[in-house]
Amino acid sequence: MLALGKSTTLAHRRYVIRTMAFMAGYAAVNVAAIFGAFDNIRSPVAAWLLALAVSAPVAGQMWATLSLMKESDEFVRSLTAKQFIVSAGIAMALFSTWGFGESYAGAPHAPGWLVYPLFWGVYGCVAPFIRTSR
Amino acid sequence: MKNRLKLLRTERGWTQEQLGQALGVSRQAVNALETEKHDPSLDLAYRIAVLFARPVEDIFENPHG
Repeated sequence: MLALGKSTTLAHRRYVIRTMAFMAGYAAVNVAAIFGAFDNIRSPVAAWLLALAVSAPVAGQMWATLSLMKESDEFVRSLTAKQFIVSAGIAMALFSTWGFGESYAGAPHAPGWLVYPLFWGVYGCVAPFIRTSR
Repeated sequence: MKNRLKLLRTERGWTQEQLGQALGVSRQAVNALETEKHDPSLDLAYRIAVLFARPVEDIFENPHG
């Protein structure tokens, strides 16, 4: 879905650019956090603002996907919706399973933000196999 | 949905890209229609019918009768 091939539509090109922009923001803040850029934050307000700042690109990505669907034809719209629903469903099921594993089986704790990269990992695995709108 | 879209398109010497431009849809959508991976909306089916100047049922096989 992120390929910028010769036959891609204008809507798809815009989607790729928007996705890259949001992913870059998401990655940049996380890399900065890994390298300790936010280690000195003590105020809870500042900490929550940081959490919101890291999460904002996730909401932005949802907007980019909805924009792609709005700007595309009916086939691309149906296919995108189907790929998104299947990926989100699998990611939620997997993460819920892990969460219940933590509650009942003593599985190690997985932070909630992992659901987003998990969603994209699942998307990358299932999207190539969803080729019909039915 | 079974259809004669590919036949009608190639009779005119059009590429999928050209047909897509004429219909206002992507090449991928034309390919999906031709390979029966997408059932067109009523609106798109009528646009295709107008473009080829044929009734819808000349192009798309009625699956219900």
